[in-house]
Amino acid sequence: MDRKPAFYEQVVRVTHVYLGPAADRFIVRQVHNHLHKEPDELSREDLSKLIDWIRVAVSFLTDDSELVEEYTDELERLARGETKV
Amino acid sequence: MGGRSVTDDIRSLQDPITVAEVRAESEALFRSIGDGAIATDEFGHITRINPTALDILELTAEEALGQWFPRIIHILKSDGTALPLIERPIVRMFLSGQAISEKALYVTKNGHTVPVSITVSPIILDDRPVGAVQVFRDITIENEVDRMKSEFISLASHQLRTPLSTIQTYAHMMDEDYMGEMNDDQRRALHTILTATNTMNELIGMLLNIARIESGSIAVNSKRLNAANVIQDVIKQLSVNASSKNITLKFQPPRQSVWLKADVLILKEILLNLIGNAIKYTQLDGTVTISVAGRANYVRFTIKDTGIGIPQTAQEKIFGKFFRAQNVVRQETTGTGLGLYVVKGLVSTLHGRVWFKSEENKGTTFYVSLPKVYDSTDRNE
Repeated sequence: MDRKPAFYEQVVRVTHVYLGPAADRFIVRQVHNHLHKEPDELSREDLSKLIDWIRVAVSFLTDDSELVEEYTDELERLARGETKV
Repeated sequence: MGGRSVTDDIRSLQDPITVAEVRAESEALFRSIGDGAIATDEFGHITRINPTALDILELTAEEALGQWFPRIIHILKSDGTALPLIERPIVRMFLSGQAISEKALYVTKNGHTVPVSITVSPIILDDRPVGAVQVFRDITIENEVDRMKSEFISLASHQLRTPLSTIQTYAHMMDEDYMGEMNDDQRRALHTILTATNTMNELIGMLLNIARIESGSIAVNSKRLNAANVIQDVIKQLSVNASSKNITLKFQPPRQSVWLKADVLILKEILLNLIGNAIKYTQLDGTVTISVAGRANYVRFTIKDTGIGIPQTAQEKIFGKFFRAQNVVRQETTGTGLGLYVVKGLVSTLHGRVWFKSEENKGTTFYVSLPKVYDSTDRNE
């Protein structure tokens, strides 16, 4: 299992593009509430489970469905290990 | 014999049910919910809205269906101030993954505000969130009844206090022999009157606090406070009560000053109730220990006593209105059962948390955690 804190940082970096300064807090809350884990324990497998929750949460912050899809596609690539640090 | 037989019923259960029938049934169910109900898909678009919701929001189905939920459903905080998108119940529900219930104001299409009680839950299909359902009801009448109830309690309490203070003044004057000397029987009777008027005064104070808490009309004036100073003030106020039972009131000061931003009057009322209770329910020669500790985001007050404790069976109800545990009722007849209810309300007003650990006949420890820097826009998470 990937347990590198760097992975969490990658998720925040991707999220920052879409949510700006709220990115860190947004992902921390998702990890705490849905996975009951600390951010530095986030793994690729965890991210796959989180993406559906992230999609619906972001969908209530913007009505741009394409943007939401683009963001969650990025996260899915990250979960599959296709995005470089 | 006419009508359907059991065999008919069994047969009907075996009939193939079409998707259209199931859909029609669930649609009918949704439409017949007495409260307003709105369902959305995973992109926040409204997929269903029932007639009650349309009625409350002054919308037509055509105006609502397919629309992005936040665009069509305008919401404000209960006090009429703006609610940021990220603080909306539906967003917070997806952030937390838990159903959320709270009160807010909806703004209708025609600009009217309607107080509503909202419950929003995720729709989960095959372990995946695929949308949300929000159920809400108009609480205009409930709010009005609450307001009238609080107004009545407040008015009645003020009206009761005036004659009571006259009784207390004259009783004290008599006790000081201003009206001539009294014999022992008369003095005992007078002390009973004084005790009863003190209890009544305390009860009226509690009722006033409850009226303010329940109406949400407590004014919070937050200032930077040194927690130790507030505790010492409260201890000074209660020292007579403690010494009358030979109870040691011990304050363990923190190694470094602990500062927080809170309303000093509310904080004192919380501590007065908790330390006062600790003294009241601790036997002669016992000890009440108070301490405070500062953490990164909050300050924790701890009030520990060596008293009679809270029975296991009473622990769930201890913060309820007018609740008194059986062991307390046996020992002390003058309590109101309102102190901890008030404490909970006041702590919540300061966006804090109160909880306890207790063992009967061994003692109780109450904890109050308050945000270090409190302001009206902060939420305690």
